[in-house]
Amino acid sequence: MRTFIGIDLGSTTTKAVLMDENQAVLGRGITNSRSNYDVAAAVCKQEAKIGARFTLFKNALGSGGGAEILLEDLERNFRLEQFLSELNQLEQTCENYLDHPRFKDMKSALREALGAVFRQIETEAPAIYAPEADRKSDFFRDIAGSRFMDIAERIGRESGISFESLLNIYDKSIIDVESLVHSDEVVSRQLMNGLSRALKELEGVEVSEADAQAALKKVIDLELEETYVVGTGYGRVRLPFPKEHIRSEILCHGLGAHMMFPGTRTVLDIGGQDTKGIQVDENGIVVNFQMNDRCAAGCGRYLGYIADEMKIGLHELGPIAMKATKTTRINSTCTVFAGAELRDRLALGENRADILAGLHRAIMLRAMSILSRSGGVTDQFTFTGGVAKNESAVNELRKLIRENYGELTINISDESIYTGALGGAAFAYRAV
Amino acid sequence: MTLSIGIDVGSGVIKTALFREEEGNSEWLARYDARIRQRDAYQLVEESIDEVTRQAGLKRGDIHYIATTGEGENVKSATGHFYSMTTHARGALYLNPEARAVLDIGALNGRAINMDERGKVLNYRMTSQCASGSGQFLENIARYLGISQDEIGELSQQSTNPEPVSSICAVLAETDVINMVSRSIPPSDILRGIHESMADRLAKLLKAIGAQGVVMMTGGLALDTGLVKAMQDSLAKHKMAATIASHPDSLFAGAIGAALWGGFRYEKLKERGLLPKAS
Repeated sequence: MRTFIGIDLGSTTTKAVLMDENQAVLGRGITNSRSNYDVAAAVCKQEAKIGARFTLFKNALGSGGGAEILLEDLERNFRLEQFLSELNQLEQTCENYLDHPRFKDMKSALREALGAVFRQIETEAPAIYAPEADRKSDFFRDIAGSRFMDIAERIGRESGISFESLLNIYDKSIIDVESLVHSDEVVSRQLMNGLSRALKELEGVEVSEADAQAALKKVIDLELEETYVVGTGYGRVRLPFPKEHIRSEILCHGLGAHMMFPGTRTVLDIGGQDTKGIQVDENGIVVNFQMNDRCAAGCGRYLGYIADEMKIGLHELGPIAMKATKTTRINSTCTVFAGAELRDRLALGENRADILAGLHRAIMLRAMSILSRSGGVTDQFTFTGGVAKNESAVNELRKLIRENYGELTINISDESIYTGALGGAAFAYRAV
Repeated sequence: MTLSIGIDVGSGVIKTALFREEEGNSEWLARYDARIRQRDAYQLVEESIDEVTRQAGLKRGDIHYIATTGEGENVKSATGHFYSMTTHARGALYLNPEARAVLDIGALNGRAINMDERGKVLNYRMTSQCASGSGQFLENIARYLGISQDEIGELSQQSTNPEPVSSICAVLAETDVINMVSRSIPPSDILRGIHESMADRLAKLLKAIGAQGVVMMTGGLALDTGLVKAMQDSLAKHKMAATIASHPDSLFAGAIGAALWGGFRYEKLKERGLLPKAS
């Protein structure tokens, strides 16, 4: 079947959206960006195709008869399969690094320690992908990395192997593993294995094993032809696409926001490294925009830096800040200075939640000034980008919009991180 | 005879110096510098005081004056606190009697100070609002390039084709550097480009205060030979009537100045019979 794909190469994550001939979104894919843009683009394209195959399989099964449960279970088990196969690759790569002359004297001890670490992660894997399990990230690098550190530290202590050596081997290996793209054959096998696992553990599903397998096989065998691919995003200069396949981020975000919410007139996109205020007309065409110059204050990295300073995960910031009783006024603009101010305030015994609320307000104040320079805020207002997932940031934004522009409709979609890629896919569709 | 300790509490490093003052002669007895990293700065200050007194074969009770500077206003065991401008001016003059201006580049800030031949501060300017071009920033860049701090200067000076950079955000530097590396620009050219952009900014600071004559670089970055060279080139390019000097002990300028001012204040108080209780 013919498909149209948009790829948004961001500084932190790379997103892909795959559309069919009727401009219906079949699949979305996301991966962490890496220094190799070609790989990042290929991986998230593959992820979008996987998403598309899930959608097609769902359509084939229809509803009722426990099909929803089967689908959910298939997806979980497929992710587990994927994780285990990448883990296996990581282990192989680590093993190969042991041949380095540096590790000559401790090779067998390191091998034993690494083996123990990987067996432990393997044992934990089903629990990581259990139903209702809470994952801090869906990227292999993050999940495997954090488990590796924890377990390697413990095993290092117990066996007297230096944690630094284990970490060094891991750091080198993860880069190699991250530059691999799974072939269609590998993905098909993982999908089929995932289905067998799912069928084994399920009850109350009326779909017969043979039917499910046949339906999935049919979906896997369907060729998803890449009719046209459009790339956009931060990696503009180095995008792995021919020139005529590249569209500006601004145009893609404007169009993407319009497609999600046709009433959109103003878009605020806060990504990892830039913040954009965009005004669009009734067709989603950009009429005015403003971007911040390369400065982390006022974009996602600001919150990332703060989370690192506090040694907590990025996703934990919002919930903590929501517990604030008042909003601390932050005096620093620069991210680095704000980090120092945060340390000082914590040292003086100020409330952590209040300071965090203040930091969320600070990033939004910067965004407001970009919005006003782009031509203000007109109803309806759509907020997109990774920061739209942070409830405290959204909360501060709502307050500021109300104070400055009155009551407006504010649109936030769960899929807002895909806005740029969605616009890209629409441009791909129009290019044919 | 007066024994005084100067402590310069920076955002990255705590510098401590112990001086003995006798009939107009200042003798530098001991020194200590400690990186704060993730530790408690105040505890580190106490450890530093113990360390320099131990080096000099003294006890805390022997010290007449403990002076803090930088971010050390709240150090409990300090006798008094001096502003960074005055201590850096005094310290620079101690290291180089010819100095008439100071360029202090610390972990987060850059500062240009104009002074007279006695170390009296005439005027000053600071970079504010942005950590780009600070010590922390350069340290991050080096980490992304996988080189150590002490290799920076030499590498930068090997550059044949400096990569021009406009000011880079200290936090977003990582992706900028990744982009440069992926365009196969050698680390030496990246570093030299960054040194040049920092130097141009700092030269503007010096111009703003009307610096003339010998400008003494102080703070951690004074030891970065690549930056010193870029500063010299930048002053020549802007045709400024100033020359750049550095000193192996530039890192301690603030601590030296604090110790000397502390000793001086102690002498004055003694003359007037207003001695503080030494802690």
